[in-house]
Amino acid sequence: MSSSNAVKESAKKLVNLLEKYPKDRIPHLVSFKDIQIARFGRVAGLPNVDHEGNSIKQKKPSIDEIKSIINRTSGPLGLNKEMLTKIQNKIIDEKFTEESINEQFRALSCIMNNKFRNYYDVGDKLYKPAGNPHYYQRLIDAVDGKKKENLLTAMRTVLFGK
Amino acid sequence: MSINRFASGRFPVLLRKAPFYYSRAYLHETGVFKQNKETAEDSPEVLAKSSHLNSKPLDLSNKAPIKTAQNKIPLAHSKYESSKYELPKWKEALGELVIRAFRLDMDRVRAGPVAGSYYYKICKEQGLQYEDEPLSETAKYFYEDLKLPRTFSQWFQITILHEWMLFVRMRAMPFKYGRNYQQKLVDRTFSDIELRLFEEMKVNSGRIADQYLKDFNTQLRGAIFAYDEGFATDDSTLATAVWRNLFGGRKNIDMLHLESVVRYIHSQLYVLSRLSDREFATGKFKFVPPGVKVEKLTPKQEEELKSKAVSKYEALDKDPKTLPSERSRLSYTN
Repeated sequence: MSSSNAVKESAKKLVNLLEKYPKDRIPHLVSFKDIQIARFGRVAGLPNVDHEGNSIKQKKPSIDEIKSIINRTSGPLGLNKEMLTKIQNKIIDEKFTEESINEQFRALSCIMNNKFRNYYDVGDKLYKPAGNPHYYQRLIDAVDGKKKENLLTAMRTVLFGK
Repeated sequence: MSINRFASGRFPVLLRKAPFYYSRAYLHETGVFKQNKETAEDSPEVLAKSSHLNSKPLDLSNKAPIKTAQNKIPLAHSKYESSKYELPKWKEALGELVIRAFRLDMDRVRAGPVAGSYYYKICKEQGLQYEDEPLSETAKYFYEDLKLPRTFSQWFQITILHEWMLFVRMRAMPFKYGRNYQQKLVDRTFSDIELRLFEEMKVNSGRIADQYLKDFNTQLRGAIFAYDEGFATDDSTLATAVWRNLFGGRKNIDMLHLESVVRYIHSQLYVLSRLSDREFATGKFKFVPPGVKVEKLTPKQEEELKSKAVSKYEALDKDPKTLPSERSRLSYTN
């Protein structure tokens, strides 16, 4: 009994860490954060609800959202409806030990602390590449919605590539 | 069709001293990496193996294994790409003459054989597998340690992850050259995939093959965008991008596997960032195997490497005997 309590405690810690995980900047079909919180929340015995108290199950992408995502590609390879529902409905039966959950916790915190980004620092040579110094800045600005491309800058990109 | 375009397809053999047969990458030569597996106690592969979770990914029963080894598309499509091919001396001399007479920009011409042939080859090899053949060392990391499904589209995901790492480096080259290198790499990827779909996957309808190609194109754009976003922001975003693309959004992901891939990516980018434009553009790079730990260079080692490269290329540029096809205007000091 004590060992299962320990697993629960570790899972709770992991869920707390996952709560701090940054949100996706643009919505995707699946969200890493939500799926993992649901996964480990189950292990921790937490109720499967989001911060507003709604059940997570209702937060599944709506049919319209799925359609819009599928329609972005002309031939959705391996993304047919049957497969999607198959994946969605499958609840995976996993067996966790305290050790394995603590490992997950350690790995996730390494990722969130940018351990390897800082260790293998590539410097401005790659972050501000000589051939296209504002490439990443423009990308992030566009994603964050800070700076919209106007027709002029868009045409410049199309004509000159940067 | 510009003459450069013509030349890049036609004269790759002229460069045979430059891009093709580097069995070891430049940094490997310095002994900075511990090549010996026993001594490498710490590497992306070891990290992935150390997990106690033993997660079993969903069995989406592999309906399209790649098993037609007799129809295999070789890594080199044309005889000119083969390592055994020797260009007749007169053709070689004629080629050098043409380069000198028309003052061809060799840095542009080289994009074909280096990015389109050599760099595509090393990207393709990483995840290449056939059902009836044993896995290579790197493929073992992806399919056994990370438990990825052995399918064609998975191979594509592994390939574009590696191509993206090269793209990151290519952006740091002078714009017109880097752009050209990227273009050549992508062109070659899709022409190769088309061939593989027909020959190996036995798709015998052009329309269906086109559909697949369009879908792969969408995947490529999505993945490059997601990885770029992750590279420019933080590791959490990068890990999410890896999870969505490489792991196909697997629910029961093992965080150690994610960490291992993130580490793998950063270590490759680190090696890429230490190479000068000249070295990278002449194909002196290969991916560090996942079972090898990339040690960080001390400032002294870095200095040593730089001076070695500078003296090498200074001598090459000064030497009047250097062939026109071996010349380059790209920087070797950055």
